[in-house]
Amino acid sequence: MTALLELRDVRAAYDRITVLHGIDLTVRAGEVVALLGPNGAGKSTTLRVAAGVHPVSSGRLLLGGRDVSGAAPRDLARAGVCLIPEGRGIFPNLSVRDNLLMMTFTGRGLAEIEHLTYTRFPVLGRRSSQAAGTLSGGEQQMLALARGLATDPAVLLLDELSMGLAPRVVSALYEQVAAIATEGPAVLVVEQFATAVLGIADRAAVLVRGRIEHEGKPGQLHLGVRAELAALYLGSPT
Amino acid sequence: MTSPLPTSGRVTNTMNFGEAEQARADRFVRELAELKIPDPAAGRAALWLRVGATLMVVGLVLAGSAYFMAHSTTDPLAQRDAIALALGGVAGCVVGSALFLRYSLTGFLRYWMARQSYDVAALADQLSKGDANGAR
Repeated sequence: MTALLELRDVRAAYDRITVLHGIDLTVRAGEVVALLGPNGAGKSTTLRVAAGVHPVSSGRLLLGGRDVSGAAPRDLARAGVCLIPEGRGIFPNLSVRDNLLMMTFTGRGLAEIEHLTYTRFPVLGRRSSQAAGTLSGGEQQMLALARGLATDPAVLLLDELSMGLAPRVVSALYEQVAAIATEGPAVLVVEQFATAVLGIADRAAVLVRGRIEHEGKPGQLHLGVRAELAALYLGSPT
Repeated sequence: MTSPLPTSGRVTNTMNFGEAEQARADRFVRELAELKIPDPAAGRAALWLRVGATLMVVGLVLAGSAYFMAHSTTDPLAQRDAIALALGGVAGCVVGSALFLRYSLTGFLRYWMARQSYDVAALADQLSKGDANGAR
C-alpha cells in the first residue's frame, strides 16, 4: 500500500512551548490509524500539522512521498487532505442541504453530493431541510463527515469524532469510517474513546507528552500499555 | 466556477478495494507532484510586513532629521549630505509603503476580488434567467 501521509521526526511548537518532540508516523492508502493519548499529548496538533494548518518547527511532512512541509493548507486541501476538526465544523444556522450546497465549490453538483451523503447516511436525507444546529450530536458528526467526503479526500484527518456522543452512535460512526477507508483514503483518527476506534483501526499509536510511546496493531497494545493509557487518562492511584 | 478538485479519476463501482485505493493514491501523488510549494523562506509575509512598516517610519525620520541637519549648518557640503540623506529616507519610505501595502492588503483584496467575481456571476445568472423567461 502506498504511504499517503508520513510524519518524520516532526517537531512543532506554540511560540516557545514545544508540543511535538519528534513524531514518526505513517498512514497508508486504505488504512485507519488511531492516535490515542490523554489531553495535552499533542494529538490535535499532530492533525493540524498533517493538514498544514500548523507549521512544523523541524522534521518533514510527506504526502504521497513528497515533502510538503511549509505548503499552504489550502493547497494541501485542494490536493485531497481533509481535516474534520473537533467541534464538527458545520454551519448550525444552515439546513443540512445548504451545508452540503456549500461543498459544491469542489466542482461536484449538489445532486451528486446529496446522493452520496444520503446513501451513506440515510437519516440526513430525512433531515435535509432541518437546521444543522438542531440535529443530534451524532447526526451533526455525520454531516461533518459527509461534508468532508464531498471533497473526495485522499487523506482524512478526524479529530475526536466521539466527543459528546453516546457509545452506540460512536460505534455506528466508526463503522462508517471503516467503510470509507476501504474506498481508498488514508484515515488518521485522533481519539480519546480508545475502545471504539481500536475496533476498526489497522494500527494504533499512543502519544504521550508529544512523543509516540507505543505503536502497533490494536491487538499488540498489550494489557500493560492499556493500563498505562488508563492511568494517563484517569491518573494513577497514589 | 471551475473545480479546484479534479474529479476525473473518481473511483468507480466496478473497481475492487485494492484498485480503488491505488487509483485515489495515484491521483493524490500526481496532484501533489503538480503542486507548487513556495520556498518557506520566500513566504515570510509577516517579516516583509514588519520590514515595510519599519522602512516607512525610518525613512520619514531620516527625511525629517535631514531637514533639521541642513538648517543647523551653513556648510554646503554638510547640507548636500543632508539632501542625500533625505532622498534616501524618502526612497526608503516609498519602498516601505509599497511593501506594507503589498503584504497588508493582499488578503483583503483577494477576498474583495472573490466577492466581486461571485457578484458578477450571480448577476450573469439572473440576467440569463431573465432572458430565458422573456424568450418564452
